[in-house]
This record gives sequence, structure tokens and C-alpha cells, in this order.
Amino acid sequence: MKRYDLIIVGAGPSGLSAAIEAAKRGMKTIIFDENEKPGGQLFKQIHKFFGSKEHKAKIRGFVIGEQLLKEADEAGVEVKLNATVIGLYQDKEVVVKIGEEICHYKGDSIIIATGAAENMVTFPGWTLPGVIGAGAAQTMMNLHGVKPGQKILMLGSGNVGLVVSFQLLQCGCDVVALVDAAPRIGGYGVHAAKVARTGVPFYLSHTIVKAEGEDKVTGVTIAEVDSSFKFIPGTEKHFDVDTICLAVGLSPMSQLLKMAGCEMEDNPKRGGQVPICDENGRTSIPGIFVAGDVSGIEEASSAMIEGRMAGITAAKYLGYMDKEELDKGMEELDHALNGLRQGMFAPKNRGKKITETEEGIPVSENLLTKGYVADDEIERFPGVTHAKGIHPVIECTQNIPCNPCQDACPKKCISIGENITSLPTVPHAEDCINCGMCVASCSGQAIFLVDEDCGDGTATVTLPYEFLPLPEPGTKGVGLGRSGQPVCQAEVVSVKSLKAFDKTNLLTMRVPKEYAMKARFFKAE
Amino acid sequence: MPPNECEGAIQKGGILMDTRIAVHPILGETTKGREISFTFDGKEMTGYEGEPIAAALKAAGVMIHRYTKKEHKPRGIFCAIGRCTDCVMVVDGVPNVRTCITPLKEGMDVRTQYGVSAEPFDKQ
Repeated sequence: MKRYDLIIVGAGPSGLSAAIEAAKRGMKTIIFDENEKPGGQLFKQIHKFFGSKEHKAKIRGFVIGEQLLKEADEAGVEVKLNATVIGLYQDKEVVVKIGEEICHYKGDSIIIATGAAENMVTFPGWTLPGVIGAGAAQTMMNLHGVKPGQKILMLGSGNVGLVVSFQLLQCGCDVVALVDAAPRIGGYGVHAAKVARTGVPFYLSHTIVKAEGEDKVTGVTIAEVDSSFKFIPGTEKHFDVDTICLAVGLSPMSQLLKMAGCEMEDNPKRGGQVPICDENGRTSIPGIFVAGDVSGIEEASSAMIEGRMAGITAAKYLGYMDKEELDKGMEELDHALNGLRQGMFAPKNRGKKITETEEGIPVSENLLTKGYVADDEIERFPGVTHAKGIHPVIECTQNIPCNPCQDACPKKCISIGENITSLPTVPHAEDCINCGMCVASCSGQAIFLVDEDCGDGTATVTLPYEFLPLPEPGTKGVGLGRSGQPVCQAEVVSVKSLKAFDKTNLLTMRVPKEYAMKARFFKAE
Repeated sequence: MPPNECEGAIQKGGILMDTRIAVHPILGETTKGREISFTFDGKEMTGYEGEPIAAALKAAGVMIHRYTKKEHKPRGIFCAIGRCTDCVMVVDGVPNVRTCITPLKEGMDVRTQYGVSAEPFDKQ
């Protein structure tokens, strides 16, 4: 039986982060992960993260994953893959299935960073081939390079449903509808908006009646539900699909902790069965710690910080660090974590109906129910500016901790300030030099560069474009409004792809000037 | 049982739709191991060495991996990360192999699983 100072279960973002901190202090650390590759769900995230520079904002998930792996390698962290931890026993004895063997290990301290698993929702036909978890779609597209299907209905409008829908569009799938039984979209408005503007319809207060097909999915029927989630007769809608993605929540995989005898609680705000733990990640059993989604569903950015917290707490527990060092480290990490836990989607605000932004502006109801800000709502928001010549129009309408746009502008046109949940403003719109950095840096793809009047009856709109094929200049097509409906004729002026934009191409289209503040996406004829 | 569609791309109204992503707007060109052959229910197929068996099957348009023991209902991929066991098949004679996490090898024999066997129900 091999002995380690620290055994970590799970090589996702929180497990890797914990291991890095522990190994840096000289702890003999090993991570067990049941998968073939480390990184958990992080490598499947191809979008740019939010937050601020310290939270790795503007960097794509899989790039953060590569950075973490490099750091772990440099710190000398041992990672054993294809190793499923099947038991956590008394005295911190860990039993691991590696291939066909069962191996025993002893840890002086343990960190459980096993993350969460997808929930399911059942309906007639849910067992048919073609019904898959949203995570499964992500795995197939982003890890294996295979399309999960061709015509897809997404159930669930939390961040997973929204983000995976966009990823499906990016790999050439047709998302026929995004459905949620709830009356309001659960995830970030900007994630919904970038899906809606491509033409995907949102059906809130709807859910699946049944999946159709003999031996695989060939269609799906949805219907509206009332406030008790009962189907309203006569509201059925049918779609021809070959795939139904379920994005209906995550539940912590906390079984090992329960097995070890940690005090658990059923906490709906955290996603289900979670261990009772303090802000350092200590469970009720000394020497057993937790980090990441297993202790409460949040996001990768918080998981990484919690991992580091658990790592240094384990280091102090075994004497590899003194209390002063721990307190100092925790203070820094606490500050970073609190920075993320602010704004409209903060854990403390979960379940609350937010009607106004921090600035006192009524939130866009249309964004919450249909996925896009309506034309008569958009002008409320401070980032939506008007000026002569090309200038930024920032359609960021919810308070989320995020500020890469502020740092992106070389002319300092954009301002957010100390409080990073504030909506961005553009105090110097007239100084814009049309470099495009703000458009490319916005993780929410919510910034446009607009010249409202080119002098010849037309306007130009530059938008972020992360699809293939890239249209050629001169391509004629239609401008789609925020709703995804065609609103006007459009012609591609240019498509800019710079290394600094990190795969966010800037497409500039010419539209009739009446549509300068309406046209927000381009579709070739 | 109706035959599975087994082509390199799904035929849809005469238009071939590629199931493999050759170039991705963010991830770039998909890199794979060497192209190899394997058999599915005796039929020769191609895939890439090291990718999950289920990925090669999905790329070939195969949706059904098995039929349930009691009611003979079709099942395919659900979670794609080895947690749900919906995708299990008989691989090289061994039943209950999770095809979504088992790497494809040259010459692998992959069969639809009926209950826990490769034999169709009427022959069991």
C-alpha cells in the first residue's frame, strides 16, 4: 500500500489547482482521475471566460486547462489517469480501480474534487438513441471532433444549455429550438443573445411532451406549461430532430464523502447532496477537504480558486505551512473568489427575481424570456452609445463580474471601474480608432463597432464572428436583428482575423443606415 | 431489426452531411491517430486509432448500440463519459464494454449487444 501526504480525487480544474499548491509546498501528492485525460470539463470549454484578469478573463477554457497542466507538471504533480477511486475508507485509505486491478493507497490528507454529473429529466421516448446529455454533445464535438447530430433541440437554458447550443452552431449543427420549463432564462443574457441572433428560437415555459421515433429520435413535441408545470392543451409544437440534448442541471458527485462519514446536507442552492464544509474546504472529518463543484455547483473559475484554498489548507494541516502563511494565502484567494460571487448570478442571488441592475436600470424582460434585448429596451443601457464615426456599442445589460473590455481599448474609451460587475460605459466614444480589440475581447460577444451614418445612406456594423466558413468581402446576404429575424439586406465589407483577436473574427457588414442599431448578425444568401 | 446506416457520412435527402468536424472555428484542424479498420456486426468500417469506439460509430451514422434484455428496446450514447452504461456493446467477445471511453484498436470486433450477449434475442 503506497502512502502519500495528499491524495486528490479528480484532475479537473479544482483538483489540479489544489495539487499545484500542495506540490509547491513540498507535499508528496497524487491525483487519481477516472478519465483518459486530465482537465475534467475544462478542456471542453471553447468560449472565453468572464471575470477579471486575475480570473483569467478573456482566455478560452481549454487554454486555461493547458496552462494548469503545465503548472502542475512544473510543480512535479503526479497524475494517475484511468484510475477510478471506488472507496474512501476510515483512516483515509483510498481504494482505486486501475485497469482490472484494485489498488490501495493511504493519504495523510485527502481532497475530494470529483465535480458533478448531469441530471436527467424523463419523458416518453427519453431512452431512444439520440437523447443525450448536453455534456455528451460537448464531449463529442470538442474532444472527439464528431458532430453529435444534425438537427438538435436543446432542453435547458442555464449556462450549460446556452453555451452548448452555441458550440453546436459552431460545429455546423442546426439548433432548431432552445426550450426551458422555467419562465425565465437561467444563464447569462449574453450567452443567450449570441445564440438568439443566429436565429435559434427560445421557448420558455415549455417542455418536452415526447420524443418520437421507432429505434432512434426522429422528432420531438414540446408544449407550454402553466405555473404548476402542467401542459396547456393546444400549445403543442413539433420539430423534426435527430438529437435532443438535456441540459437540466448538475448534481455534485459526493458519494465518496458520504461513504467516508462526512456530515452531509441536502442543499438545493448548491445542487443537491453536498458535504458540510467551511470556506477553506474543510469537511467534518479532519484531513478530508473538498473543492469545486462537488461542494456546490458554481463554475470553473471558482473551482480553481477553491482548489488552491483546499491545497494550502491541506498543507497547513500537515505542517507544510504555518498559520500566518495560510491566512495570507486565504485572504488573497478569498478576495478573488468574492470578486466572482457578485452580480445578478451570484450564489447569494440565486432564486431571486432581479428587476433592476445595480445602476437602477430595469433589466430587459425580453432577454430573460426570449433570449434577446428588444429594440425598445436596448437604448436604456449605458454601453449603447451614439457618436459620429465608428464607435463601440456595448450591449451588456446584466451585472456580471467581467471587465476585459475596459483593458482592451488602447484609447481608454471604455470604462467599468473598481466594481467589476458594473455595466460598461463608453465615456470617450469619439476617440475610437476602430482597432476592434473591444469586440474581440468581450467574452459575451456583446460589443459591436458601428458607424451609424457613412454619408451614403448606409451604416456599417462590425460584429464578432466565430463560425466557418468565413464569408468573403462582397458577399451579399441579410442582416439579422437581435431576435435572429432577417431585418435588412447586408453586404460583407471585410472579415478581420488577427492573432490578438484569438479566433474571434471581426465581420463588418454594410446595412441601410436605419438598421445601424438593429442589425446584429450576418447570414449569407 | 432495421439496419443501421453505416456510411462515412449521413445521407440526408441526397445531400451528404459530414459527421466528422474537419476544421473547427476555434479548435482548428481535428487531429486524429492513424486511420484503421474495425468491424461492426461483421461489416468492415474505418475509424481512427485511439478515439472512443462510440465516436467512430457515431461518425459512421450508427445510433443503436444495444437492445435491453427485458423489452428489447434500443439504446445508444447518453453521457459519453463512461458514467451511464447506455452505450455498452460486445467488443472482441467481451460484453458490457463502455464504447464511449474505450479506445478503438485495429481489427476490433464490435457487435450490437442484445441483453448481455452478441446473439440476437431469437437465437438466445
